[in-house]
Amino acid sequence: MSYFPSLAVFFQIIINGTFLGTMYGVAAIGLSLIFGCMQVLFIAQGTMMILAAYSVFWLVYFMSIDPLISILIIIPVFLVLGWIMYKGMFQRVSQAGPSSTLLLAFGLMVFMESMMLFIWSPNIRSVKTSYSTSAFQIGDITISVSRLIVTVVAGIATCLVYLFLKKTMTGKAIRGVSEDRVTGMLLGINPNRVSAITFAIGIAMAGVAGVATCLIYPFDPYFGFLFSLKALIAIAFGGLGSVGGALLGGIILGILESLSSYTISPGWADAIAYAAFILVLIFRPQGLLGKAADKV
Amino acid sequence: MLRLNQMKVHTKYIAGLIVVIFFVLCPLFLNSERSYFIYFLYTTFIYITIAQGWNLIAGYTGQVSLGQHAFFGLGAYITAITWRAGLTGYFDPLAFLLSGTGALLLAAIVGVVLLSKLRDDYFSLGTLGIGEILRVAALNGGSFTEGAAGISLNSTAYKSMNHYYYTALFIMLFTLVVIVLLIRSRVGLALIAIREDETAASANGIPVLRYKILAFSIGAFVTGLCGSLNAYYIFHVHPPGVLSLNWVVIPVLMCILGGAGTFMGPILGAFVLSIAFELTSIWMPEIHPIFSGAFIVLVTLFMPSGIMYYITNHKSMIMRRLRLTVFKWMNQKA
Repeated sequence: MSYFPSLAVFFQIIINGTFLGTMYGVAAIGLSLIFGCMQVLFIAQGTMMILAAYSVFWLVYFMSIDPLISILIIIPVFLVLGWIMYKGMFQRVSQAGPSSTLLLAFGLMVFMESMMLFIWSPNIRSVKTSYSTSAFQIGDITISVSRLIVTVVAGIATCLVYLFLKKTMTGKAIRGVSEDRVTGMLLGINPNRVSAITFAIGIAMAGVAGVATCLIYPFDPYFGFLFSLKALIAIAFGGLGSVGGALLGGIILGILESLSSYTISPGWADAIAYAAFILVLIFRPQGLLGKAADKV
Repeated sequence: MLRLNQMKVHTKYIAGLIVVIFFVLCPLFLNSERSYFIYFLYTTFIYITIAQGWNLIAGYTGQVSLGQHAFFGLGAYITAITWRAGLTGYFDPLAFLLSGTGALLLAAIVGVVLLSKLRDDYFSLGTLGIGEILRVAALNGGSFTEGAAGISLNSTAYKSMNHYYYTALFIMLFTLVVIVLLIRSRVGLALIAIREDETAASANGIPVLRYKILAFSIGAFVTGLCGSLNAYYIFHVHPPGVLSLNWVVIPVLMCILGGAGTFMGPILGAFVLSIAFELTSIWMPEIHPIFSGAFIVLVTLFMPSGIMYYITNHKSMIMRRLRLTVFKWMNQKA
């Protein structure tokens, strides 16, 4: 192990970190939207990802649908799921304050984890496709095809959400409610409707991130919480409530993890990520990008 | 009127005393080595202690810490390491004291850094990070913490379950007394003032940061004591065991379920949740976590502020409904 990687290795690390980070980033966007709009820390986000991953696993296993096509099934299903979750649960509970919604999210997480454990067993699963192992070379750098696909999909999803927030009336309403709920209500925005839409989008983003995960990593039901934590760190890096910031925060986190596992040791990568997280919280609570970031 | 109030307070004390005497006498009637009930009470006492520690910082002071498992784990590790090094022995009061103090110091240091800078959710996330850093540090601690395998202690030292039971009971009572005294004093009022409005509290001359750190440290101290006791009970200290997020999540759930910021809330919540978990794990061992999750979801849906608030707010309504149903039922009969 060398402390100073050669240039090619350095680029390889950066690229791997970016691929890893986009997945955190997509999960973080959903989390960030939900937090921005209704101050709910939805810690079941990672578990929703794993639920999507298992759904893809079944789609591949029983109907042999390619994971990339299954995104088209996962997104609408998760949108509806998110809508139902908000209307059925979070709308009621959100009046009682943040600790109750946190508790509700936690209860959902435990419930879904154990349901998945019951249905799919604790064995580690993975999704195999024809392109799972293929890769190509640019110079000295190896790029895995499935990771590249995942990154592109993540990028498209982010762009779509960004455009939705920027260009549509509903998107404007979401941004308005995130900025000031009461003023939004005075201007005739129905905060419950907006929150439900935001929640649905957030869950759908978890679905996309889940499809991405299952293409690259083996997974088990307990994986979800780890992803929720990583998504939280990504948000802190990027600054709460911004779409681009969340994705960038995820990528920074991914690169940081890859770099520290190469130069120090893989065992310490998590601790370094958390330490960086706390330092960012203390010294730049508005996120690394600060006010330069587009506040969405 | 005054007399009535005094009587109410007295009945509360007497009821509490009766319950405590019942707990003290329990091992005399039951075979503590075999009884499931004794084990149940032991774990519930530990949860009540941690939950009350969290209640002090989160329920009363309004700073939601998610790093209590760090203090629990630190307490367990201090006990294990000092025992292995021969500095302390089995059930050594010194080990308890060291574990508690270690956790207290960690809380004070973390508190100075995090509480001065971070508020609300940011503080929660920061404390969560502290716990995770400690976990990774324990995993990579080399021969000092023995990594993922953890430190195995000399389990032949085990004497009897009664030791654990009474120690847990003592720690819990100690915590409850400390919390009651704190909450009834000026300090308690200051803590609640900070929760309600930090700026107003500070404008009224309350040293906000100092009080926050005080509440955080006291909560950490009792949590460290529990960690120490747990190390003696399990005889094996390893990161997935003592630094598990369960040690923060379950007490927090109990606290919120019972009603955070009330004295009886965490106690009630701990008993309700423990009983729910135990019953489901006995009757439906296959699916009990599903039930636990669903239980939490249902409680937050229908009693989002906790059982205590529900009871105090709905006392008259509950009674009225009860009367109404009885009345209807009687009418139908007639």
